[in-house]
Amino acid sequence: MSGSKLSKDQMQKLALSGVGFIVLIYVYFSFFLGPLNTSRATMERTMADVQAKLAASETEVQKARSLEKKASTATAEFAALKALSPEGAPIAWFPPRMRLFFADQGIDRVTARLEGNTPLTEPELTEWARYSWILDVPQTDFVTLGKALAQLENAEPLLTISRISIRAMAEDPQFQQISLTANTIVVKQ
Amino acid sequence: MALHLNLLHEEIAEQRQRQRDPLKIGLMVLFLLGVLMAMFYMWKGYQTLGMKNRLATVQAEWAKVEPTVTAAQTRSKELQSIIGTTRVLSGMVEGRFYWAPFLQKLSRCVAPNAQLTSVDGQVFEKTKTVTVSIEGIAAGREPRSAAEELRQLLTEQLGQSYTNVKVEFKSLEDLDTLVTVAGAPMAMARYLLSVTFDAAGPEAAASPAPTRVPRS
Repeated sequence: MSGSKLSKDQMQKLALSGVGFIVLIYVYFSFFLGPLNTSRATMERTMADVQAKLAASETEVQKARSLEKKASTATAEFAALKALSPEGAPIAWFPPRMRLFFADQGIDRVTARLEGNTPLTEPELTEWARYSWILDVPQTDFVTLGKALAQLENAEPLLTISRISIRAMAEDPQFQQISLTANTIVVKQ
Repeated sequence: MALHLNLLHEEIAEQRQRQRDPLKIGLMVLFLLGVLMAMFYMWKGYQTLGMKNRLATVQAEWAKVEPTVTAAQTRSKELQSIIGTTRVLSGMVEGRFYWAPFLQKLSRCVAPNAQLTSVDGQVFEKTKTVTVSIEGIAAGREPRSAAEELRQLLTEQLGQSYTNVKVEFKSLEDLDTLVTVAGAPMAMARYLLSVTFDAAGPEAAASPAPTRVPRS
């Protein structure tokens, strides 16, 4: 056997050592260091996320407090507007409300008929709907009507009169017959 | 030159052979490498453990504040929604056309010799335009002039509160019948006025009650 050349047996042993080395590297990186690094990277990401949330939390709370102060007027206004829509179907409460209102103004026998309802197109008003009503006033005089309308327009901010028809009564011209088309915006039930 | 005989040649060769055994050397190298790798793994594991502890602390801290933050975020969204809705509703409320001031102005324009028999009005929401059709009877020595006076007065009065006011006769016809006004017989004319104007106006927002009795 020569001193400088490797024998067949030595070559085999050397190859076996090489295979052992490859297996060791593979096992080490696949089953030990790899999972550890993955776990660590996951923890780093989670920590960065949580720390970012923590940093933003104070700002978020401050923002909410500040908004609460700023929105006090809007909140009160919103509550007042919402309170104009009682519980229940509008057909149940709107006609009696109008009858009572006009009776308080000295105009009797007012009837309110539902003409239809349409959803509002504004994205902010998805919880609200527009109802269209025909109000028939069989007999009143112009001044009383004017005062009643002024009161109605001031008392019902979400009511809009889109059409008005005043006809003098043939048998008694000092009185008129009135027909109003009123649109109300109410909270969807 | 002395002759040197190596009698242990074979034994020495075998010992050298054993020392140069590639498997033995390979195992030693592998073992050494394994030790180094294990140490590196332990160091990394220690670092990971430290990070795990820090993460647990941060998560505990977050768990404490999370309900407050979530509540604040929910409230913020709710408030934003309320503000948006209120803004739109307020816009609608402020943009309404008030009929009471219009009727008040109309009543102020009607003279004793010009009666109204019907008033039909409509607001077009998209264009914010108001159209009113006024029908009536005027009496006087010159009933057409009385009707024209009403038209001019309406133009003047409505022009103070609204923009783009147009008051036009759709029809104006003499009637054969006479009517007694202040004890004197007067001729009559029937008129039909068409009034159009833009609903937006500085005074349109107010809605006072009418103060004067109209002659109808």
